[in-house]
Amino acid sequence: MPEYVRKKLISINYDQIIEYITKRIREYIEESGKEGGIVGLSGGIDSSVTAILLSKATPKTYFLLMPSKSTPLKDIEHAYQILKLIKARDDQYSLVNIDNLTEEFSRLINTDDKLIIGNIKARIRMVLLYAYAQKRNYLVIGTGDKSELMLGYFTKYGDGGVDILPIGDLYKSQVRALGSYLGVPKEIVDKPPSPGLWEGQTAEGEIGVDYETIDSILYLKFEEMFDEGDISKMTGTELPTVKKIIKMVKVSQHKRLPPEIFRISGRAINSDWRYPRQWG
Amino acid sequence: MGLKIELAQIKPKLGDVPYNLDKHIEIIQTSSADCIIFPELSLTGYVLRDLVFDVYKESEKAVHKLLDNKGKKCVIAGLVKEVRPGILRNSVVILTDEKTNYIYKFYLPTYGLFEERRYFQAGDPRTDLIVNEYKGYKFGVVICEDAWHYEPIEALALMGADLIFVPAASPMRRLSRSLVIKDQWEALLKAHSIINGIWSIFVNTVGSQEEEFFWGGSMVISPLGEIITSAKLFEEDRVITEINLDEVRKNRFFSSFREHLQGFHEVLHKL
Repeated sequence: MPEYVRKKLISINYDQIIEYITKRIREYIEESGKEGGIVGLSGGIDSSVTAILLSKATPKTYFLLMPSKSTPLKDIEHAYQILKLIKARDDQYSLVNIDNLTEEFSRLINTDDKLIIGNIKARIRMVLLYAYAQKRNYLVIGTGDKSELMLGYFTKYGDGGVDILPIGDLYKSQVRALGSYLGVPKEIVDKPPSPGLWEGQTAEGEIGVDYETIDSILYLKFEEMFDEGDISKMTGTELPTVKKIIKMVKVSQHKRLPPEIFRISGRAINSDWRYPRQWG
Repeated sequence: MGLKIELAQIKPKLGDVPYNLDKHIEIIQTSSADCIIFPELSLTGYVLRDLVFDVYKESEKAVHKLLDNKGKKCVIAGLVKEVRPGILRNSVVILTDEKTNYIYKFYLPTYGLFEERRYFQAGDPRTDLIVNEYKGYKFGVVICEDAWHYEPIEALALMGADLIFVPAASPMRRLSRSLVIKDQWEALLKAHSIINGIWSIFVNTVGSQEEEFFWGGSMVISPLGEIITSAKLFEEDRVITEINLDEVRKNRFFSSFREHLQGFHEVLHKL
């Protein structure tokens, strides 16, 4: 990561950020008329940080571990480490293996395509989270970070199907630094981030560069509006890679927006009928 | 004798005028200050979007309730006012002993997250600059973005204002090493105070409204550019400060406040 970016993204006041995010989680739960929040805990850095922030925001928390056979054992161990770190009681978490559900869906759809099955897994987890949340009158607290959201590296209505995204404006490298600050074990902070939808899947492996570089490119392009050539020089990344990352952001824009409504009337939802969530 | 001012740093409920009105009245009735100032659009909330069309009438009616409940206090509150059929303005009402005055926002932000021009018409400096008086203190009011420009406060100061109230809805951005937006507001208000020899009294909204989060941190800056008091960050707060005109004199005896070269505005006018 170039020093220029590191200064702006990493050397930040984490105390203030923790205070801000926990306060907003607390307020959002209250304003939604809900009792608490639930997080799907994968043992990765994003869900670890989100779980800690949620537990700082409210004592009313629940955590779901939803491994499948493609989940590395290490990840389950890490998830338990986080539960221990936040002192979760036995009645505050469950482990649900999603293999049977996944197999049933795959059989019905008659597919062994790993991408389709991977997305099915993400959506099964979403369904479970919402069901557990509803039982307790909780909100589903999403774990997506800014890097993944920007790249479109999430499953629509899967891990993207959540009520709020508390760390959605922090890049992966910021989340890692925040994780270290919050006491997340080094092993979790340092392991390659992976959605774990199939064995060996890692974001960095699929894109071909590390997250520090991805974050630098995203930041320089979309927050500081540098041109691609300068970004390539500043980050020491080949121009085609810079272009590839920017293209990933562009082609995934549809995933970040609500479904498009085709206008017919004089006042169409989201177009010129735009009300806040806090309405009435 | 100084003037006691209360900075009522509240978290309005978006679009819930009755709730916000109750909160205003409760603060007015329990305050020991002479003058109570609320944030921008304090009766309605800020991120209204199309809700603005639902709440403007209610917020105008709420002013009558404030008037009934203010006693002898001076009250400054934010609302949406319909100035002509279908023409809405981001407004502030000033309730003093003698009268009810309305102040309109001149500079409507449209950059970044703001979309005020979509909903509001801007005030006209030629007709809408007003200096008020309360207990011998002459004051002006500018709304949030207006303080990011030189002219509104300079004009009010030259028209006679010794204090400027700045009700604001400043959202948090760039939370990194420090809260940059807070540092910027401090710098801005200090500059206005020093240049114009005025008290700057900034009252910000606090709390979340949609994606935005308002950081609070209301403050009073003396004419010598010192932060005399500041309210809490990120939460509701009420702070009372006493201000006086001696500090205004101290600044102006030894400042360039009296100087204003019209020529600069002639140049600006042609740009």
